[in-house]
Formats: sequence, structure tokens, C-alpha cells
Amino acid sequence: MEQQGSVEGAVLSLTDVAFAYPGEGEVLHGVDFALRAGERVAIVGESGSGKSTLLHLAAGLEAAARGQVHLTGQALAGLDEAARTRLRRGRVGIVFQSFHLIPTLTVLENVMLPLELATDLSAGERRERAAAQLEAVGLGDKGARYPEALSGGEQQRVAIARALVHEPALILADEPTGNLDSRTGETVFALLLEQARATGCSLLLVTHSHELAGRLDRVLTMRDGLLQSAGSTEAAPA
Amino acid sequence: MSLLVLRAWLRDWRRRPLQRLLTLVGVIIGVAVVLAVDLANQSAQRAFDRSMDEVAGAATHQVLGPASGFDEALYRELRMAGWRDTAPIVEGPARLPDGSTIYVLGVDPLAEGPFRGAASDIGDVPVQRLVTEPGTILPPVGWFRDSGRAHESRVTLEAAGGAREVTAIDRAAERDQADAATDEGGGSLWVTDIATAQGLLDRLGRLDRIDVRLTDAEVDVLAEALPAELELVPVESRGQAARELAQAFRTNLTAMSLLALLIAAFLIYNTQTFAVLRRREVIASLRLVGVGRRAIFGVVLLEALLVGVIGTLLGAVLGIALAQVLVAQVAQTVTDHFFAVAVTGVTPRPLALGAVFLLGVGLSLLAALAPAWEAARAAGAGTTGRGGLERRARRWAAWLAVLSMALLLAGGGLIVTGAGALVGGFVALFLLIAGLVLLLPWVLVWTLRGLAALVRGVTLPRIAVRSLERSLSRSAPATSALTLALAAAIGVAVMVGSFRGSVEQWLGQALTSDLYVVPAAPASARGGARLPEDWMADLVARSGAVSVSTGSSQEVVSERGLVDLYVVRPHANWLDYLPLLESTVAREALGERLATEDAVLVTEPFAAHHDVRPGDRLSLAVPGGQRPFEVLGIYRDYGNPSGTVLMTQAAFVRAGMPPDGVGSFGLRLPAGVDVEAVVERLEAWLAEQDRAALVTRPGDIEQESMAIFDRTFAITHLLRVITLVVAFIAILGALMALQMERAREFATLRSLGLLPGGVRSLVVLQGGVLGTFAALAAIPLGLGMGWLLIEVINREAFGWGMDLRLPWDEVVETVLLGIGAALLASAIPAWRMARMRLVPALREVP
Ligand SMILES: Nc1ncnc2c1ncn2[C@@H]1O[C@H](COP(=O)(O)OP(=O)(O)OP(=O)(O)O)[C@@H](O)[C@H]1O
Ligand SMILES: [Mg+2]
Repeated sequence: MEQQGSVEGAVLSLTDVAFAYPGEGEVLHGVDFALRAGERVAIVGESGSGKSTLLHLAAGLEAAARGQVHLTGQALAGLDEAARTRLRRGRVGIVFQSFHLIPTLTVLENVMLPLELATDLSAGERRERAAAQLEAVGLGDKGARYPEALSGGEQQRVAIARALVHEPALILADEPTGNLDSRTGETVFALLLEQARATGCSLLLVTHSHELAGRLDRVLTMRDGLLQSAGSTEAAPA
Repeated sequence: MSLLVLRAWLRDWRRRPLQRLLTLVGVIIGVAVVLAVDLANQSAQRAFDRSMDEVAGAATHQVLGPASGFDEALYRELRMAGWRDTAPIVEGPARLPDGSTIYVLGVDPLAEGPFRGAASDIGDVPVQRLVTEPGTILPPVGWFRDSGRAHESRVTLEAAGGAREVTAIDRAAERDQADAATDEGGGSLWVTDIATAQGLLDRLGRLDRIDVRLTDAEVDVLAEALPAELELVPVESRGQAARELAQAFRTNLTAMSLLALLIAAFLIYNTQTFAVLRRREVIASLRLVGVGRRAIFGVVLLEALLVGVIGTLLGAVLGIALAQVLVAQVAQTVTDHFFAVAVTGVTPRPLALGAVFLLGVGLSLLAALAPAWEAARAAGAGTTGRGGLERRARRWAAWLAVLSMALLLAGGGLIVTGAGALVGGFVALFLLIAGLVLLLPWVLVWTLRGLAALVRGVTLPRIAVRSLERSLSRSAPATSALTLALAAAIGVAVMVGSFRGSVEQWLGQALTSDLYVVPAAPASARGGARLPEDWMADLVARSGAVSVSTGSSQEVVSERGLVDLYVVRPHANWLDYLPLLESTVAREALGERLATEDAVLVTEPFAAHHDVRPGDRLSLAVPGGQRPFEVLGIYRDYGNPSGTVLMTQAAFVRAGMPPDGVGSFGLRLPAGVDVEAVVERLEAWLAEQDRAALVTRPGDIEQESMAIFDRTFAITHLLRVITLVVAFIAILGALMALQMERAREFATLRSLGLLPGGVRSLVVLQGGVLGTFAALAAIPLGLGMGWLLIEVINREAFGWGMDLRLPWDEVVETVLLGIGAALLASAIPAWRMARMRLVPALREVP
């Protein structure tokens, strides 16, 4: 069910979105942006420019002060906390800079979590799919471990598996390699791109590295609270 | 220490006011309860001592005769023989029109000077009026204030001599000194001239005792000089039993208050640890800019000191207020059971306040020591990880379990050997409690692991259980506090329930008649009212009773000091109802031997206090000297905590003891008779007699006894409630800490799609798991405490045995209460977590 203001066929669309933290000045001044199905877009910009804020709005973790956010055609404005959560868990996978694995669950259980929250699969099926996803990120043998027993790179690969396992329409990744050394970062980045392509989902990725950003379909720059096109490689989505 | 460091540290108060408030509440309640119980105990103790001193005066010895008194001519003979430091006394209880009982002390004001000078204003102006105007009496000063009666008002006193009007003289008014009415004017001792007292107490021409002051050398001389029916008894032996019992009662209360303090300590420790952990970023950053370990250690302790001082001051205020409530309770209990004590105001003594101050502040510092050390130590590594602390906590749990075994063994050893009597009993109790509480973290770890394995497939419960296990430093102390409070509640319920049940059963057995006829004036072992023996025929005629028993209590001098002797002429099958515990004689032969030989039975407390076994001999003073009586058995009796010796009327008469009237008649009516009609007939007849007497039913006596019983334990219920409140706060604090710490985890779960309602159920589930664990662990601990209270402590303190009764409804109630409290305590964090803002929480450094 398409709604007013949403860009036709977009997985994510922001229309004139403004946002301010309580008691602070505006961070975003009117962002217009659309992400097509299967498209992979990078956002760069100075520290404090509002990149993370944009991702949080896109995920429905924060509500916009003005303007419209649509997730797969569904407007977020006017939805309550629970409805936004339901929308998010079905359609979005998030990868954080600092992994955010649940320390009290094993690696496999962490990956099973979105399936349990968002799907009606049986326990056996959940386990199977999570194991397959772990296998896909190269950690098939580490499922029984707790996150604390993994390296940073491995933890982030688990986070990627967790973000992908329930086949969301959109992956939001906030500096997924920011906490990793450059070689590990490279591996993890490649894995993320490959997995996104394999599952055919869209990707919105924040990074400080122009080199990494350049490998995506489009690069946008966050500046002065606005999202600006930055001489992108305007390639059509695969 | 840098001011900025301090500021960095204390700013947390503004950010988490509720958390800091909980620490404060722990100190406040802990201090308040201990102080209140101590103050109430002290006040009651002072009132008790004062009453005892007023009665006993400065005498060293008392000359005592039979319970019915002795000829006052003996006193004149003594003085004539040169014993100048002597004062005659007539004493006994009386009842005021409002139903309260007072104690009448009849003195010879001219002889009194050396004895009760200061205590009773004797030798002062009004005393002359006591002598010159018969029928005048000096109530305690406070009585005028409390009753609103005026100086020289007429009061009717109901005593052994019947109802009589007397004139109450206000010493203050008499002296034109309004300010003389001090707090110390309380008490229930009414002083009058000996002649007036003789009239009131039906002692014409007779005395109850003679107070004497003797040097060591004189004691034997006087003892020799006394006629055979009189005994010389050291003052300390009177009231000694009452003093010890009152002491035991207070020890019980103090132990309860210490338990409340122990639980408060858990709360303080919990919140202090959390205060440190919450600020691990602050610590790490401070360390990075070069703040030393000592400064970190110092700043944590300084905060604890601050909390301790503020909490103790507030707690002291609350404690003094609470003491006002408690003192009335404690005094009432002491009065009910031991001796009439006037309730006086609570006057906090500097020493008690000082001790409580040290206790409150010291406890706060002590509870902060481990967290402060943790903070200073972890700071070295850059960031203080929860992981390290929790790993250490789990290791500690195992060591604590080992230590707990040692404590349990020590406690068990104390019980088995019975070393240390009452104090030993309490030490054993605390060893066992400490042992079991130290075992709890270890049991909790394994329980949570087991649960986690059980819910392997189910993610959310697994998160809930696993995060409890991983936050052991948080969940274990809170659970211990709750377990302890619930166990104490169960333990007290078992003790009070068993006691109550036993008393009820005993009353049912002891009250074997259908109706009782008793004097209207208060009964007492000495100076109490009596009814004429020759009423028996009339009572039988009017009631149609098939059997009449009589009983009367009196104080008798024995080789073991003054003892309470109960003389009965029992119903035929009375022994079938007597709860006999031990006997050297078969039950069938017992009645015969008690009637025909010099033999007695003693109560359980008597056997305990005097270390008497069946087969022993007990010497009692009879006219003409001491006479040994064989103790044939021990029976259960909760009537007199000092113990009673039971003798049949036949043995009493054969021993040549002077008859002393009847304390009560017990009438057994034929089956199917209209009891109400009998009561009416008896009351009509009693109204014509010159002695005031009442007809009472066993039900009334039972009711009154149970009312006294319930009053006695009202204070324990109060302490129980306070303890539960503290435990509730402890579990609330712990759950809040747990959830705050896991805020980032919760935010992650929410970002993955967990609904706010899911967060709520997660938090409530954790509360439920902790609450259920605590409640289940409290059952064995509580039952053990109850058993110990009954078998060791009460037996040591009061000599009362009782049948262990498990009040299952109260146990279930307590268990539900514990789980309910934990669930309720999780409501606030659940609500806060569910509506937490996700983005700031997600940003938090791991
Ligand atoms: N909880 C908050 N309260 C107030 N202001 C905030 C809060 N979080 C972020 N800000 C402000 O909002 C602005 C945007 O922050 P945001 O985290 O989106 O920046 P960013 O582009 O992701 O920076 P970086 O590259 O350093 O991660 C910053 O100026 C920051 O100071
Ligand atoms: Mg950012």
C-alpha cells in the first residue's frame, strides 16, 4: 500500500526530513533521499554531521521532527513504538560499529534471534537457517561459543549474519569496519557486500573511508544537515 | 583530593537520584530499627528497675512468712530486740475503676526513711498526712496527669479487702511545686500507710514482710532469732526470675533488630557496588588523566561516608519516633508477663545515639569497602570490565560455599553441645543464618545454570536467566537479602504459630471446669484477694455442679528462693487432662501419691530454671521448718514464666501450712444443663455476699490469655514487616541496577525488533526467577530458624517447650509475598526499560 510522499518502488525514502535531539539545535535540516530495491549506497561526511542520526531515523529508532520516512512504502510517522518495532524487525537488518552482540547468548543463538522475533519458523528451522547463515560468513564451527570468545572481526561477521538471516529488504550499517584494523575491515566489508548481493537486499552504509565508499553503487555526503550527491558512480543497480 | 575529581564522582547523584536514594533508605531503616528497639528496651528496662527498686527499697534482706502474712506483733518484737533498721510492709495488687491494675505498698512512714527515701518521696510533707489521715494514698505523680483527676479526689480501689474509697494525694500539689511532676513520676506503685493498706488488702493485724538492712555478720544472727514460720531472704532473690525473663525478652527483640540491620547491610552493599559500576567510565577516564588509585579509593569511601552520615542522622530521627511506638509495646509485654511497669517517655541517651551513629556510618563504610577496592584495582587496566568482576564473583561464590560449610558446622556444634546457653543459642542462630546465606550465591549459580540448560531453545527466557547468572555480583546479594527476610518471616511464623497453638491447647486442657468463680480484685501470689472456702457448699447448691475444684497461688520460701506454689483440690479425673511431660510414676498412681505423700509436680519452666528432674527433692518452708517434697513429674504450663510448683490441698494441709482461702473455684456442671441460667443464679447469689466475686467462663479466660499472647508478639510482626520492606527495596535496587547495566543489551534487542512489551516481560521474568528462588530457598532456612527459635532459644530463655507446628498457610503466604514483592519490584525497571530511548543506550560504550 503506497502512500503519499513515498518514492515509487523505493525500499527507503526520506522526504524533507528534519531532526533535533531534545534541547539541541537541528542536526538534519531537510533530507531528501530514496534507496531503490537492491541498490547499495554509501554515506560519508564529517564526524558529527548526522550520519548515524540518519540511520537511526531510517530504522525507526528515532522519530523525525518533520518530513516523512517510508520503509518499503510504509510511512513511519504516526506509528507507535510497537508498530515501528514490528516494521523494523521484518524489513531491516542493522550492523553497528561496535557489534552489539548479546553477550548472554551463544553465537548461534544471536543469529537465531531475529528469526525468533520476526518469523513463525519452527525452532528446528530457525536453528538450520541460522547455522546456514553462520556457515555463509565462515563461522560455521563457532556457533556454540559466546561472543566474548571471538575476535572483533569474527564478532562483526556474526553481526552481519544476524542482520541478514531473516532476509530483510534493507541493511543499515553504521561504520561496520570502524572498530577493526584495515585488513580485517577489508574482509568484513567484502563479506557484507557479497552477502547483500547474494540475498538481493538494499544496503545503506555509513563509512569514513572514501575508498570503501567508492565500491558501492552511489556515494552521498552529509554536510550542513543535508545529504548531497558527491560525484557518484551513477551505476544502475545490479 | 582534587575538587574536580570529587565533582566528577558526585555528579552521578544528579543523574541517578533514585539509585542513591535507595542506599540512603537502607541506612535509614537499618539505623532506625536498631535504635528504636534499643531505646524501647532501655526505657522499659529503666521502668522495670525503678519499679523493682521502689518495692524492694534499699533493704538487703526481707523477712517473709506464709502467703497469708504473719502477725504484726513480730515486728514490734524485732525492734524491741534491737533490730532498728527494719520496716514493715503490707503489699498487694488492686484494681482501679478503669480496670487497670496497680500495686499497693503499705509502709510505716516513720520507719521508712532509710529504705525508700528518694524513690517514693517518703519522709516528705504528704507522708505525714498518710499517717494522720487514714484512707489517704499517694499515687504516682504521672497518674494525676494521665487520668485528669485532681488533688484529693476520691478513688475506689478493688482489692483483697473488697472495694474501698481512698483519697488520692498529689505530692506536687501538696508541696506547691507544679514542676515536681517529672517524667520519672510514672509507675504503678501506690504508696499508703500500713494501716490503710491492711484494710485495703484484708490484712488486719498482719504483715507481708519486713524489710531489713543487715551486715554480713548480722544475717546469721537474725536468721537464728526468727521464729520458725519466718524466713530471711536476700532481696536479690525476689524479682530475679522476672528480671532474667524480661532480659530474655529484650534479647529476642535485639536479635530481631540486628537481623533487620543485616538485611539493610545487603542493601547498602548492593547499591554501593552499583554506584561504582555505573561510573566505570568516570573511573577509567580519571585514571587516564592521572588520578591515582588511592584517590579513587578515597573518593568512593568519601561518598559512602556521606551517605552513612546523612542516612544515620535521618535514621536516628526516625528511630526515636519509632521508639515511642515500641516502648508502649515492650512495656505492655513486660507488664503482662512479669511486673507492672509504667510506660515512660523515651529519652535517647547520648551513649546509645553514639553507638548507633558508629554502627550506621561504620556499616556504610564497610559495605563500600569491597566496591571501593574493586574501583581502585580495576582502574589500572584502563576500563573496569563487568566481565572480570563477574568472573571473580563466581569464583567467590565457590569459596563462600566452603566458608559457609565451616560456619554451619560451627553453628551445629554449638547447638549439639548446648554451649553458651541463651547467647550461645543466638550465636548458633546467626552462624547458621550466615552459613546458609553464604551458600546461596553458589546455589543460585547452579540453579541458574540448570534453568539456562532447561530453556536452551527459547531465546528470551535464556537471555533472562543467563544475564542473571552473569550479573551474580548483583543478583546474589539481592536474592540473599530477600531470602533472609522471607526466612525470618517464616521462622517467626513457625515460632509464634507453634507457641500460640501450644498455648491454646494448654488452655483447653488446663481449663477443665465449665465455670469459674474468682475474686473481683486481682489475684496474686501475695496479698491477692481470696474467697472463703465455705462458699463451696453454697456454690454447689446454686449451680448443681457435680464436681468443684479449688486452686490458689502463693509465694513460698524454698531452698531455691521464693517459688510460686499452686495448691489445688482437683476434679476427680484431672490427671487425664494434665499435659504431663515426664514422670517417675505411672499416671494411674500419680493422683494417689500426690494426695497421700509429700510430693509435688513442677512446670516445665520451673524444671528448666531450677534444674529440677523428676525424683529430686524440693525443700519448702512450712511452719516448724523446712520440709522436703518429692518431685514426681514435670508438666507443661505457660501460665507463669518463672515456673510453678503444684501441690494438692491434701498435701498442703498435711504439711501444716496455714489455709489461705481460695483463689478460684472451678465448677463442673452436669451435661445438658443451661449454663446461662446457672451463671445468672450464681451472680444473683454472689451479689448478696460481702466479697466481690465474678463468674467467668473458660472461653473468656482463653480469650483474655490469647489477647495477651497476641500483644506480646505484635512487636515481632512489626519488625517482620520492616524487614520485608527493606528486602523489597533491596530487590528493587538490584533489579534496577541489573537493568540499567543491561540497557545497551536491551536497546540492541529492541533494535533487532523486540517489542517494548517483550522487554517488560524479560525484566519481570528476571524478577520472578529471583523472587521464586529466594522464596523457595527461604522455606528450609525459615523452618530451620523456627526450629532453632523453639528448641534452643525459647527453651533457654523461658524454659518453655512447645510442639513444632508448621503453619503451612503462613509459609505459602510468605512465599507468595516474596514472589509478589520481586515481581512488584521489577515493575519499575520494566516500565523504565520498555520506554527507554534506544539511541543513547546504543551509543553507550560496552
Ligand atoms: N543523544 C544526543 N543528544 C544530543 N545531541 C546528540 C546526541 N547524539 C548525537 N548528538 C549530536 O548530533 C549530531 C550528529 O550526531 P551523529 O552521531 O549523527 O553524527 P555522526 O555523523 O554519526 O558522527 P560520527 O562520524 O562521529 O559517528 C552531533 O553534533 C552530536 O553532537
Ligand atoms: Mg556515527
